[in-house]
Amino acid sequence: MGKNPISNNIRKLRFFQNEMTQKELAEKVGVSRQTIVAIENAKYSPSLELAFRIAYVFDSPLEEVFSYEPKDDPV
Amino acid sequence: MSFQEKNVAVSFVSFVLVLGVYLIGIMRMVLSGGLNSTSLFRLWGLIIIMAIFFTIAATILTHILSAIVEAIRTGNEDPQIEDIADERDKLIDLQGTKATYTISSIGSGLAMLTFVLGQNALVLFSLLILASLVAQIAGDVYRLGLYRRGF
Repeated sequence: MGKNPISNNIRKLRFFQNEMTQKELAEKVGVSRQTIVAIENAKYSPSLELAFRIAYVFDSPLEEVFSYEPKDDPV
Repeated sequence: MSFQEKNVAVSFVSFVLVLGVYLIGIMRMVLSGGLNSTSLFRLWGLIIIMAIFFTIAATILTHILSAIVEAIRTGNEDPQIEDIADERDKLIDLQGTKATYTISSIGSGLAMLTFVLGQNALVLFSLLILASLVAQIAGDVYRLGLYRRGF
């Protein structure tokens, strides 16, 4: 498996949200805690809708939560 | 390990058991020279009933064991089991189903090839159900792999 080009700041954002637990975040966005763990560890790239829901919980723009670094220039 | 992942693990164990029963049954028939359509289709019936029973029993057992473990872990008498299938679970299930269908199709093709090459029709039917069981197990292994290493 290659390196996931999508990285995220969920761990940091949870910390700044009064140490929100993974379970609390999971309940707020409607997924299992394991899915949050997988996203945090860059083992799963969420759907666009879930990414927006996570950003909404943190009251942050999407690009502050997720960032994309292409391996090769696709253009 | 999530509830859905436990479900896949239990399904894997169940189908390995069913496969074991099937292989023992076939080996007995071959060694005793009793491989005929009546006994083979009886074994087919047994395997299908076992697969249905194990699938239902495994789901119930996973629920009960998850509730017990959760109750012990949290000390709550009415534990909440996180048994929702979210988008990641559905995607993994889809990938697993794709793997199952692919292996099942290859197995069915190979089974038919034995018939084309002049083997007995019973060999074809034996291999068909073998391919289905192996495909189910391979699909579960693939699902477990996706849960563990991510995708």
